[in-house]
Amino acid sequence: MLNSTTKNRLLTIASILVLIAVWKLLAIFWHQELILPSPDVTLSKLWLVINSDNFWPSVGATLARGLLGFLISCCLGIMLGFAAGFSTPIFWLLHPWVTVIRTTPVMSIVILAIIWFQTDVVPVFVTFLMIFPIIYGNVVAGIKNVDRHLLEMAKMYRVKARRIILELYFPSILPYMLAGASNAMGITWKVIIAAEILSQPFYAIGTNLMIAKIDLETAQVLAWTVVAIVISFIFEYLINALENTLKTWG
Amino acid sequence: MAFILNNIHKKFGDLYVLKQLSMQPEEHKLICILGPSGCGKTTLLNIISGVIPTDQGEIFGFEGKTISYLFQETRLLPWKTVQQNIEFVLKDKLNKNQRNSTINRYIDMVGLRGFENYYPDKLSGGMKQRVAIARAFAYPADILLMDEPFKGLDLQLKTALMEAFTNLWVMEKRSALFVTHDIDEALLIGEEIYVLTQRPSSVKGIIINNIPHKERNLHKENIRMIEQEIYQLMTSP
Repeated sequence: MLNSTTKNRLLTIASILVLIAVWKLLAIFWHQELILPSPDVTLSKLWLVINSDNFWPSVGATLARGLLGFLISCCLGIMLGFAAGFSTPIFWLLHPWVTVIRTTPVMSIVILAIIWFQTDVVPVFVTFLMIFPIIYGNVVAGIKNVDRHLLEMAKMYRVKARRIILELYFPSILPYMLAGASNAMGITWKVIIAAEILSQPFYAIGTNLMIAKIDLETAQVLAWTVVAIVISFIFEYLINALENTLKTWG
Repeated sequence: MAFILNNIHKKFGDLYVLKQLSMQPEEHKLICILGPSGCGKTTLLNIISGVIPTDQGEIFGFEGKTISYLFQETRLLPWKTVQQNIEFVLKDKLNKNQRNSTINRYIDMVGLRGFENYYPDKLSGGMKQRVAIARAFAYPADILLMDEPFKGLDLQLKTALMEAFTNLWVMEKRSALFVTHDIDEALLIGEEIYVLTQRPSSVKGIIINNIPHKERNLHKENIRMIEQEIYQLMTSP
């Protein structure tokens, strides 16, 4: 008998194989590399892309931008989230700002950013505006959901304020922060590449996608897409691993 | 010396909770406050612990004293083990060696040896309540306040926990105020039983129970007589 993890893994692998088979069948059916190149053509293109001089600088630059935007959002989101979670006036002061940021269409932000900033900064700025509200919102929700009973207990036993923050607030907000972070991570890579396509920094996955599109190199578009998916997947995995190491109880 | 609560009044908006409530509970006794549900017993404990102010009246004897609190709920931190949960309230009070010996002593006393590294969600309801009892006793407090800590537990568990509690208490005889609506609990635990009226609450009468805790049994004649006394007092106009 197979245990359930191996069973689930086999199912995942089977599902990926089906996906590739469908892709292959569609490619054979269309028989036009311009519209849908087959998986093997894409794979050989991917090999060429990885071995090009341009590959690592582009991937590195996109990663650096994504992580920078993510880190800035996390720092500010946690700091302002704590402030707003503890103080109702600060929450209402920040409310209109966060709402504006949350509801502005991504493309408006990208276009404005292109007008205002250098091309390298645009994707970072856009990522920040996209994911800051997620982190901020989760931190605020986490603080508002801290168990009042536990707080009352800690105060009754005269536990010092610093320890209440570190040992009571922090662990109870942690699941909210991690959920926010994993959610934000997924969005980061989508947004960063969209912004790169429009702002065209010298080294960027998005720029390469755009060049491939202009050259009508559909296989190359797909190859860079695969690269983006792999990056996204790796970071999702890392965040999950972090979640499991930090949340040891229960 | 006794604690003194003199002519306490408390209103929440239009709700008159405590009215002319006065009592002089003895130190180092197990004081039981017995009253119907919703009569303001928790409010009284909150006033004593200084969480909420009174509208009128004076309180003496609690100033500068440290207070331990046993709640209806266990209120354990889910991300801390049994040992860490007790340590959480001791860290600002005791150094590491004192902490460890205190924690070990109380874990033994409530019979949780072997479970000190368990997280609360791996423990049964009764075990969690025992951790809360250990925490309340381990904390170096002069006064122990208890707000119906055995409410909603089944009879067997309740009896076992009450026994664990009285055993711990007898060893140190700290001043303790125990609030309940359950006559059996009052009979098994209280030494001075203050019976409260319906809301707005004041003290209806005091009943003294000097039977040693080890000899208390709900089926014994001497306890039954005290029970009769309490019933008469509660039903009297």
